[in-house]
Amino acid sequence: MCLCAFVPLCLCFAACSKPKPPSDAASIVLWEQEDAQVAPYIDFVLDAFKKLPENAGVEITRTHYQTEDLRSQFQAASLAGVPPDLLLGPSDTAGLYAVSGFIRPVDGLIDVSRYNKAVIQAISLDGKVWGLPVSNGNHLMFFYNKKFVKSPPKDTDELFNFCAGEAPRQKLDFCLAFDLGEPFWLAPWLGAFGGWPIDNKTPALDTPAMRSAINFYLDLKYVKKYVPPECDYNCMDSLFKEGKTAFIINGDWALSGYQSHFKKNFGLALIPKLSKTGLYPTPMVSGKYFMVSSGVKPEKLELIKRLLRFYTSRENQIRQFKELQRLPALREASEAPEITGTEISRVSMEEISKGKPMSMATEMRAVWDSARNYLGLAMSKKLSVEDATRKMQQNADSKIAEMNR
Amino acid sequence: MDKKTIRHRRKKLVKYLLIHAVIIAVVVICVYPLLRIFSISIRPGDRVISADLSLIPSGAGIAAYLRLLQDTLFLRWLWNSLIITIATSFIGVSLASTAAYAFSRFKFPGKKTGLILLLSTQMIPAGMLILPLFLMIMKLGLMNTYLGMIIAYSVSSLPFSIWILKGYYDTIPRSLEEAALVDGTSQLGAFYRIILPLSTPALSIAFLFNFTTAWNEYLVARVVLFSSRQYTWTLGLFELQGQYITQWGMFAAGSMLVTVPVLIVFLYSSKWLISGLTLGSVKG
Amino acid sequence: MDILYSIYEVAWFVLIVAAGIAALEGYFYYHFKLYGKKWFMAVSAVFFPLAAVLLCRYLGLVEGGGLGRVWAWFFIAQVLINLFFKHIVKGRFSLPYMLLAPAFTGLALLLVYPFVFQIYLSFHDLKLTTIMAWKNTGRLPFAGIQQYINVFTTSPLSEITFWTLLLRTLLWTFTNVFFHVAGGFALALLLNNEIRFKGFYRTLLVIPWAMPQVVAVLAMRGEFHSQYGFINIMLGKLAAAFPALAALGFGPVQWLSDHPLATCTLINIWLGIPFMMVVILGGLQSISSSYYDAADIDGASYFQKLRYITLPLIRPVLMPAVTLGTVWTFNNINVIYLVTGQSGGTEQADILVSALYKAAFTYNRYSYSAAFAIVIFAMLFFISVFYYAPTFGRGNLGIRGSLRGKVISPSSPARG
Repeated sequence: MCLCAFVPLCLCFAACSKPKPPSDAASIVLWEQEDAQVAPYIDFVLDAFKKLPENAGVEITRTHYQTEDLRSQFQAASLAGVPPDLLLGPSDTAGLYAVSGFIRPVDGLIDVSRYNKAVIQAISLDGKVWGLPVSNGNHLMFFYNKKFVKSPPKDTDELFNFCAGEAPRQKLDFCLAFDLGEPFWLAPWLGAFGGWPIDNKTPALDTPAMRSAINFYLDLKYVKKYVPPECDYNCMDSLFKEGKTAFIINGDWALSGYQSHFKKNFGLALIPKLSKTGLYPTPMVSGKYFMVSSGVKPEKLELIKRLLRFYTSRENQIRQFKELQRLPALREASEAPEITGTEISRVSMEEISKGKPMSMATEMRAVWDSARNYLGLAMSKKLSVEDATRKMQQNADSKIAEMNR
Repeated sequence: MDKKTIRHRRKKLVKYLLIHAVIIAVVVICVYPLLRIFSISIRPGDRVISADLSLIPSGAGIAAYLRLLQDTLFLRWLWNSLIITIATSFIGVSLASTAAYAFSRFKFPGKKTGLILLLSTQMIPAGMLILPLFLMIMKLGLMNTYLGMIIAYSVSSLPFSIWILKGYYDTIPRSLEEAALVDGTSQLGAFYRIILPLSTPALSIAFLFNFTTAWNEYLVARVVLFSSRQYTWTLGLFELQGQYITQWGMFAAGSMLVTVPVLIVFLYSSKWLISGLTLGSVKG
Repeated sequence: MDILYSIYEVAWFVLIVAAGIAALEGYFYYHFKLYGKKWFMAVSAVFFPLAAVLLCRYLGLVEGGGLGRVWAWFFIAQVLINLFFKHIVKGRFSLPYMLLAPAFTGLALLLVYPFVFQIYLSFHDLKLTTIMAWKNTGRLPFAGIQQYINVFTTSPLSEITFWTLLLRTLLWTFTNVFFHVAGGFALALLLNNEIRFKGFYRTLLVIPWAMPQVVAVLAMRGEFHSQYGFINIMLGKLAAAFPALAALGFGPVQWLSDHPLATCTLINIWLGIPFMMVVILGGLQSISSSYYDAADIDGASYFQKLRYITLPLIRPVLMPAVTLGTVWTFNNINVIYLVTGQSGGTEQADILVSALYKAAFTYNRYSYSAAFAIVIFAMLFFISVFYYAPTFGRGNLGIRGSLRGKVISPSSPARG
């Protein structure tokens, strides 16, 4: 009896719930992979955009994916012919999309010369610009806890002096926390020794600079023991937050979290100059970018152009800094007094100026993986430093050859 | 005589205590990580690793739980997962129980091939199926619906369910059905009245398997669902995980909450894991 | 309201599934039972292809122009099916096939297309630079068996060859499955005693299985941390308490960087035992207590009972779990991925599948990885066909036979 009533009811519902055809000219689909606390900001800007009189009736759908998922979903959706219109993400997968033709260059859409040079360089490949920067940075910096440290060290000699004397006295577990296994953290030191992992599209890993950098690491891990061994991102982050270490090298994404956690004990400085060479460490610099799918219909480009311009307007760039502590990519905004006026942004800007743009070439992937693997082997002393760097280079070369074959 | 019983009893007591001791030791190993997650969920500051081993950290609070329930659609996600999982489990187990009966009690051409085919479906690395699955779901118009997921889930745990049920049916003596067939029951009737009630342990294993697999599934859900109201809890919870910064407090709180339904199902299934067989229906 | 709607939605979906199954069964019933009627051929050749074409049209699978071609295909297929049922099947085996039909149709629906897709890719060359051309023209450069040659000659990892990797994978699989079964068996035997709190213990023991796997692995990973993990803290305390042990090199270990594969194995064993325990516990329930009663009267020892009653009798239930467990472990990437770091991590803990995913997803060598996946599939297939298949065949007979010989069959009046 019950079932008899239920069946027609279901039929009714099914009849009503035919799916609507997706995406017409006034709707934009945006996929992003930001950390969860960024979502409210994005929604706020998108809402403000929709409220503008010329954008009446515009619909914007934001979908969040994890970094890896964003890549696989975007590729699958592009193949199936139903890609989102816009991606918001870091530059490291942009090379991949650019080579496979899933995104279109933005040079023609928007005047990219109005944005900071380094952040545009990080999204340039083969003479084209593949994304519009919304923030500048993603670079490593040097944070310290003012409870333990009065004034930050200028160079590594000062840092090691503190680690040898003051740190044990303050009963710290370790002096300085950072991930010894992740090559992204090796890049600044590599630069300070005068090297860089990639030269245009060729890996440059078997270099004296790389050997010195790894020896520097080995010294920190086994001899000086200032840095916790086997400490990944979550480990170093916890150690620093719990006050078990005085310093941490971490990215600008951690800024607002540390600020609210440490309050008046929060300290930020340049990564100390490497005393041995007298050079500053060079963190990799990139940013967050909008990328435009190559599947976007021409009639929608005008709307997208408007959205991109609105999202990176001077006003919104400054708001983004205030809410997320992300530095503006628009040059006009980064010269504004709100940005140049604060200590934090001043240090952060200076660190960026010491850094180098991260390459978006697809070859970078092979460099990362090879470097990570052999850095690990050298750090656990399963390979000598010379063997490790030699194989690091060979392996990156062969991976690239396989990829392009 | 008296001494003998005492010694016997003492021996039994020692054995009894020993069993409890071993089980409790293993229980501790099994439960400990869950307790650690609990301590992450009540720890302030989103820290996943902590230097102190105490389970109740200093400054503990339920802020993460409140934030999870207030600021996110967590309850909605839980509900989505629940209905998908329950529908999946029932469809999966009912399809498997009949198919397994065919494999267990009949001779027909292609029987062995069929069994191996079932097994071979599990041999393709699952990650490789994402792209074709996406294209297929797309073409069938099942994007962002539960139907695609219910079908995919109930089918993908079929091989295990069929096999385990077949193995179990095999241990039930044929004489029981034969008696019923002589009494004039049809073959399907015999299956329904005799085999099914006797197989509750295997049915509940299959149900548990279907339930946990669908409950914890991520890959297919990620491909099919894209609007956050439709998310299952796996997708929703992973939304809290960023490239670097993860809201570990809420993540751990969510993990605690999603473990509860599964534990309830397991607790409830306890009584079904006891078969009619041991209660003596075979003896007749 | 939302919740009510989703209930309706799901009920509707279940109904669709049920209707699909009913239609399928009806289709088979018609072919099995009515094959002898005069109108059989004519009716089915008209009705079924038409219905199929209409269904395709409704689902939007084919555009208007392709309908005629699709109808022709369905028509030919239907005629062949009719001939098959009329002259070869003739209504035999109707019950088992109808019982199997829904399950196998579902599997075919879900797995045939992806599998064919993979095979197609593996003989072509899909990579970053050809992907756009493929999307636009639907054509890919043909590569023959080059991808398969690459699988065996080039290694997906930098330090070890394909064959060493295969060996490592086999070792990983064997170790895991062995400890899963041994641990699960031991726990199941303990729980099968008449003890208090049985249901309570059982529920707590399945926590590693019941917990979301990602969370479980991440929690366990924390316990293996070289300094703050529970395991190393305990090892350190033990070494401090017994200096003799410490002298032998016993003490805290850098699990994650020095022994990543061992760490993965330990965690995976921890994860897998509860599942086997539940399966074996169910299997133990299938053993009638009369076997044990009879053996007790004969004065059999505990281990004799284990060897001659328990083991052979749970085999039909255990073997499927072991076989599938082997396949799953061979293809299991979750633990390795989560323990060694999501960004690729060290290669020291990679097995075949995790290397495959790296090739596919970080290097975008789609065709190579498709060939790789097919090779993995083929290896598993042959292992199971040659190793396991014979044991199914004689499974039942073997048990019954050995029982008759060794102990007493349940019907024998041992009690008398």
